[in-house]
Amino acid sequence: MRTSIGQYYPANSPLHRVDPRAKFVAVVALAVALFTRDSFAALSIYGAAALVAFVVSRVPPLWFWRGLKPILWLVVLTFVAQALLARGEAFYSLGPIHLTKRGIELATYLSLRLVVLVLFGSLLTLTTSPISLTDALAWLGRPLRRLRVPSDELALMVTIALRFIPTLLVEIEKIMRAQRARGAEFARGGPLRRARALVPVLVPLFVVSFRRADDLAMAMEARCYQPGIRRTRLHPLVARPSDFVVLGAVVATIVAASLV
Amino acid sequence: MRIECRNVTFAYDEGGRPVPAIKGVDLVAESGSTVALLGPSGSGKSTLLMVLRGLLEPDAGVVVLDGSVAADKEYAHRQREIGLVFQEPETQLFATTARDDVAFGPRQLGWPADMVDAAVEEALDLVGLTGSEFGERHPYSLSGGEQRRLALAGVLAMRPKMLLLDEPFVSLDPGARRDLAAVVRRLVESGMGLMLATHDVDQAWSLCDERLLLVGGELVAAGDWDFAGAGAELLAAHRLRTPFFVELWRRLGRPLADAPRTVAMATEALR
Amino acid sequence: MLAVNALIDISGLHYRYPGTAADALAGLDLSVAEGEFVAVVGPNGSGKSTLARILGGLAVASGGHRAAVCGHDLLTEPGRLAVRRDVGVLFQNPENQLVAENVEEDIAFGLENLGLPASEIATRVDEMLARFDLEDLRHREPHLLSGGQKQRTALAGVLAIPRRALVLDEPTAMLDPAGQVEVLGAVARERENGLTIVLVTQEMDEVLGADRVVALERGSAVFDGPPAELFARPQLIADLSLGLPAAGEVGLALMQSGRRFVRTPLTIDELLDELVGSGGTQLTLGGVSEHPSSADDPAHGRWEAHTAADSPAPAGDGGEA
Repeated sequence: MRTSIGQYYPANSPLHRVDPRAKFVAVVALAVALFTRDSFAALSIYGAAALVAFVVSRVPPLWFWRGLKPILWLVVLTFVAQALLARGEAFYSLGPIHLTKRGIELATYLSLRLVVLVLFGSLLTLTTSPISLTDALAWLGRPLRRLRVPSDELALMVTIALRFIPTLLVEIEKIMRAQRARGAEFARGGPLRRARALVPVLVPLFVVSFRRADDLAMAMEARCYQPGIRRTRLHPLVARPSDFVVLGAVVATIVAASLV
Repeated sequence: MRIECRNVTFAYDEGGRPVPAIKGVDLVAESGSTVALLGPSGSGKSTLLMVLRGLLEPDAGVVVLDGSVAADKEYAHRQREIGLVFQEPETQLFATTARDDVAFGPRQLGWPADMVDAAVEEALDLVGLTGSEFGERHPYSLSGGEQRRLALAGVLAMRPKMLLLDEPFVSLDPGARRDLAAVVRRLVESGMGLMLATHDVDQAWSLCDERLLLVGGELVAAGDWDFAGAGAELLAAHRLRTPFFVELWRRLGRPLADAPRTVAMATEALR
Repeated sequence: MLAVNALIDISGLHYRYPGTAADALAGLDLSVAEGEFVAVVGPNGSGKSTLARILGGLAVASGGHRAAVCGHDLLTEPGRLAVRRDVGVLFQNPENQLVAENVEEDIAFGLENLGLPASEIATRVDEMLARFDLEDLRHREPHLLSGGQKQRTALAGVLAIPRRALVLDEPTAMLDPAGQVEVLGAVARERENGLTIVLVTQEMDEVLGADRVVALERGSAVFDGPPAELFARPQLIADLSLGLPAAGEVGLALMQSGRRFVRTPLTIDELLDELVGSGGTQLTLGGVSEHPSSADDPAHGRWEAHTAADSPAPAGDGGEA
């Protein structure tokens, strides 16, 4: 059964092996840098970097396409909006629609930039398991502990939540089927009716979840867990030279893009 | 009510990949008959029950309910005459009183209020949770065994003609198992058709006249085959035991056809 | 009653759930020696689960004359925290004990909580995977495991931290027969390695291998002795609503209708022995009994037989009728 949520594609590529902290920082840096300069030249450098990374990741193109599909409407909308709303000398007119050269240019640039942004994001989620990402965020969030933000506990909470998502999905399906066998209908009527129809599913789900939380807390305490302790890991995050190489490549990309 | 399965096949769709669950199943079950659906975990028993009830549509083959098929108008109505109780059904309890929860099914069927009330009281009585004592109790204040019987009442209140039970005794403490077995036995005695999916060979022996053996989604044996000889080998081949009373009678050298079905019958015979 | 070398030494233990009128545990006495296997039985509401949690340092007793586990005082907070390290607890619901994304990470959880270095954790995890036959499932996600596999994983995780005692709260109640055999077999092996075990259960055939059985009713002990003695008291077994295999139910029914048996039979062989031995009706045995009758202690040997890999269920040839 397809188990991972989001888009993690397990493989053994150089990109998969990079420390998740480095990947996260890299993607954030690239995303920010992407928006600080408006030039086709810079965009083409970022685009090229994304394509190189995509090849190195050994993730089939289909998966990138799947990541792009949900926001395709936004890309098209951006293109159309910019194309229609830009000022300037129209080279083609039909009624209220004026297409300008500048408008088309802008529309193309903005849409492509959106695509490159999604590519960067996908590169992160396709090559990093949710748990690794959580570990990375926990580590990066360590300084927040000084501000009394329980970053380690939050990371553990996220890990546990992710672990139970497949279980919850199965339970939801089971409860829905059981209620359907009692005549419940979930796809009938307007939004209000449908919401009310979900009560026989949501109440049991909540009860199961609260009981689970109780049981889990006790099981964790039985294995010497306590909030606030400093936990070690079976597979700790270890920074390797290759990770710094990747970060270096990212810096080089950003520098190159700001110079063209 | 007469349920017939002809060459029914069903596979789950998991992210585009088909996962076969039952293949080419033929069977007949009717009111007044008791059929045990035996098989190890994962053999497709739950899937088959859901297909019979109409919660899943077969990929191939036909389910015939009282002579009507899916295309017929009365088919949906017939489906509602089959009661299906899932594994660990107490997870479906959601109302604030026992009565309200049991009333859910009848209300969904669109019955008038007085008919709903009557059905609810009847159902509560059938499972041994009399309305006066348990009616206003919150479902979660009941013991595990009581909750399970309450969930069963929720299905019985819809006045089914056939009852499909999926592993009804799992996760119950011994006292609760006894109480539930007594309820099921009473239902059977009053003429309710029963199909009991279980991995417990002794329960199957005790409550059902016929046995189906489902392995890897396929029916390996059907009917009222006895457990001597070939039957016993079949069970052993699939890591299932011979029922206790059958084995006891075999060791006592008594005819297997007379093997008792319940403790009470055995006690009588051994006195 | 102070027992020498008592790993668990409890006297007069009380526990009351907040907001309830009656004590869940009312003056309970319990002592368990190192290496002993004690079964705790009793109907719902007798206080078994409460006791299990208190023994693990996971619940706070309302009071007691003496409550020492592994030398720590259960009536103090530091004592309870120390007990959690020395005493492992396995619960009933396998699903609600697994926290991590896969089997090896879950087994490592307890060791990570103790702050051990990664290499030590890795060694210990490998050990546990081998010991509980989970090597092939190392990277398997919890929702893809069977009930028995989940419970074995939970057990491996509990015992990854070296323990002096293991408390189990109805560990097989939610498992199918195959899972029950897996888990009970694993527990039997730990017992053989000298681990002190307290098994809370409602199934009489799980009690077979125990050195002693303590029966609880409404929060206090009504029986404390070897299993054989409990089997010789059919009325008590009936009063406590204990789950007997079919042989026991038939035996009990026969005894209640006047037959005199030496003890409550738990297996088909014992029942046959009692039927043939007690005279009365002429009974002949059609086949040769594979396990010739013997008057010896029903503990130990039979526990092994029942948890052998080839027998499909720990109830022997019994089960519910």
